[in-house]
Amino acid sequence: MMMDIFMRRQALILGTLSLVTIVVLWQLVVDFGIVNPFFISTPGAVWQEFLVQLNDGSLLTNILATLYSFALALGLAVAVGIGLGMLSGWFQDVEAALEPFIWFKYSAPTVAFYPLFIAWLGYGTPTIVAIAFLFALTPIYANTLSGIKNVDRDLKRAAISFGARPYDIFFRVALPGSVPVIVAGLRLGVGRALTGVVVAELFGANAGLGYSIAYYAQMLQTNRMMVPIVTVILLGVILTQALSYVEKKTDAWRVTHDN
Amino acid sequence: MAEIEIRNLGIDYRKPNSDELFAAVDNVNLSVGEGEFVSIVGSSGCGKSTLLLSVAGLVKITRGSITIGGKTVTGPGPDRAVVFQDASLLPWRTVLGNVRFGLEMQRWTGGDLTKQAMSMIKLVGLARFADYYPHQLSGGMRQRVNIARALAVDPEVLLMDEPFGALDAQTREIMGGELLRIWESDKKTALFVTHDIDEAIFLSDKIVVMGRNPGHVKEVITVDLPRPRTPEILDSERFTEFRRRLRAHLAADMAGMHFMEEAA
Amino acid sequence: MAMVATSARDTGKTGTAKAWRPARSTIVSIVSVAVFFILWQVAPDLGWVNGRFTSQPSQVFLAAIEVLLNDDFFYHARISLTEFFLGFALALVVSIPLGVLLGTSQTARYLIDPPLMALYIAPTLVLLPILVVWLGIGMASKVAVVFLGALFPIVVNTMAGMREADPKLIRAARSFGASRLDVFVRILVPGSLPSILTGIRLAVGRAVLGVVVGELFVSQAGIGYQLNTYGSAMRIDRLLVYALVVSAFGYTLTVLVRALEGRVRTWRPE
Repeated sequence: MMMDIFMRRQALILGTLSLVTIVVLWQLVVDFGIVNPFFISTPGAVWQEFLVQLNDGSLLTNILATLYSFALALGLAVAVGIGLGMLSGWFQDVEAALEPFIWFKYSAPTVAFYPLFIAWLGYGTPTIVAIAFLFALTPIYANTLSGIKNVDRDLKRAAISFGARPYDIFFRVALPGSVPVIVAGLRLGVGRALTGVVVAELFGANAGLGYSIAYYAQMLQTNRMMVPIVTVILLGVILTQALSYVEKKTDAWRVTHDN
Repeated sequence: MAEIEIRNLGIDYRKPNSDELFAAVDNVNLSVGEGEFVSIVGSSGCGKSTLLLSVAGLVKITRGSITIGGKTVTGPGPDRAVVFQDASLLPWRTVLGNVRFGLEMQRWTGGDLTKQAMSMIKLVGLARFADYYPHQLSGGMRQRVNIARALAVDPEVLLMDEPFGALDAQTREIMGGELLRIWESDKKTALFVTHDIDEAIFLSDKIVVMGRNPGHVKEVITVDLPRPRTPEILDSERFTEFRRRLRAHLAADMAGMHFMEEAA
Repeated sequence: MAMVATSARDTGKTGTAKAWRPARSTIVSIVSVAVFFILWQVAPDLGWVNGRFTSQPSQVFLAAIEVLLNDDFFYHARISLTEFFLGFALALVVSIPLGVLLGTSQTARYLIDPPLMALYIAPTLVLLPILVVWLGIGMASKVAVVFLGALFPIVVNTMAGMREADPKLIRAARSFGASRLDVFVRILVPGSLPSILTGIRLAVGRAVLGVVVGELFVSQAGIGYQLNTYGSAMRIDRLLVYALVVSAFGYTLTVLVRALEGRVRTWRPE
């Protein structure tokens, strides 16, 4: 019985175990004087701070501000990424026209252009959304492109043999077939959108988790700073896991092509 | 059902990354009568699949003509349906969904799609599995869905490109019997490509033997074994005789191939 | 063989093919880039956009020359490069042994894997302010950001590389009497080289990001510092020059590592 439960919930159990291990190690490292608590704080102190920030509403405000920018950026990235990705995947000319710019975007760290965005859009939400949008765009576009472009040739041939026209093939074969790849791209995009928002908030914002990290860092208040840091990490894990779950669901029919 | 008339057929391909042309198939003449089950056999590279796919309208021909029931073939059409070696089932659709797919593509107007699809699914013996997904089925079952899909659009001609090639020997035998049972119900004109001699003799009324370099028809053998065919025929003298004739053809090809590989 | 009848697209035009003919997609790409540059140059002049915000190719070109000659370009470049390579070297020294250790020990893997993956996905850049608190606004904090950025991809990929070792090779080696150490040195390490290089390639991207973001956040010198300066001063032309320098650097490194990766992967028959 116990083994059964263990096997099925393996990931969850191990995850929790290692989380606990980290917390314990964290506490020990400070207790034994290896690291000065000023630098990394202690689990206890962080927990206290967490409660404080939760109660006075500041944590929630920041989380909401970050999620707001996140949602905007992700929404834009999904719309543009999937839209352009489909066009590029289906029409070779579109892919060829966009390729140099995508390639450039790949090699250029978006953040290097951050001051440019500040100059154009000023400090605040528009810049944050712009940066996070660009961060998240790449995997979503790339995966959508790949999914549509690499439609299973056997399926395409079978469809043509039954008289399918190009738009039949797009909507009935290419599109459904590329759903798993697109969802995988979304999973990557979600992580990057969050990163983009938080990093942009470090620089210029008046609310949000990144903002509060930078704010408390400036005031050298490590305890307070750890709360948003941990929150960001947790948020990232939750969002990515949620999408992994969706990924598995949509992948169900892809189990094996041969037995 | 219609007759297939192939005259002076030639199909040239351009070699990849060059402008050189080579003839996959040349000077092929073939007649298939209504309701005949004709197999095409030959060693690899003799163009048998190419020939079949040109009748399907999926491969452009360079010379000659193909007519079905008097109409020239210019592309895929509702009068023909193809059963490929790869089942090519849409993995996100159920068995029913997949059999309906051909009907949907052809904008079928002959009544309720589901009813038509289900009657074919019953015919191939998969009524119980109509709601299953391809990944839940065995290879043989998937091919049966493939066949059902082709039959559902009620084509004049059934074209099959090594449909059992990817299955293990035992399943292949079973499927051969199944195919005949299904075919007997309507006796559609059928073209069947295979490299399995026994399968060809067992199933067909005529066997077209092809040779390579370039692909051409070496001989057309009439298999006048009585129908309906039963597994016992495999041991009969006449069957063995046919087998001998076909193996002689293929052996000749093998010898030729061997020389070519050494020269290259 | 082309089984599906298509239009001329697959077979191409008949006849002459003696001279090298650029593919259609290449032409479209080139035209696309050309149109972009032309628009970029012409739009400010025509008043479609404000040239102060977008600059122009000609201005950027001139600024590039200015920067290379007059600005303290090489001074700033040296600072950023030092931060980059120092941080990266430290990451290599720590991450590869760590990855090897974790890759070969089952128990270590079970314990460390989930938090490791969490940290790999988590944006280490978020720790930037904390690193500045610890290490100050000088080069040290940037080195630390680079170190953290490069650490995780290399560890995770090294671990994966260790697990990727072909069990058949190991079995063959064992049948010839190879000891565990032999197997480790002769099979596991060379076999995991491609994955390690993949990790390094991914780490390069994060490391470049680390230097730039670190310097943008707070610094006294470096490429990022210059980016900030010119951004605030609305000298978009010079800003773009520095941004392009960063892009070129990141791109070149990635290409080099990719090439190395390719060479090494050919040793493995897939």
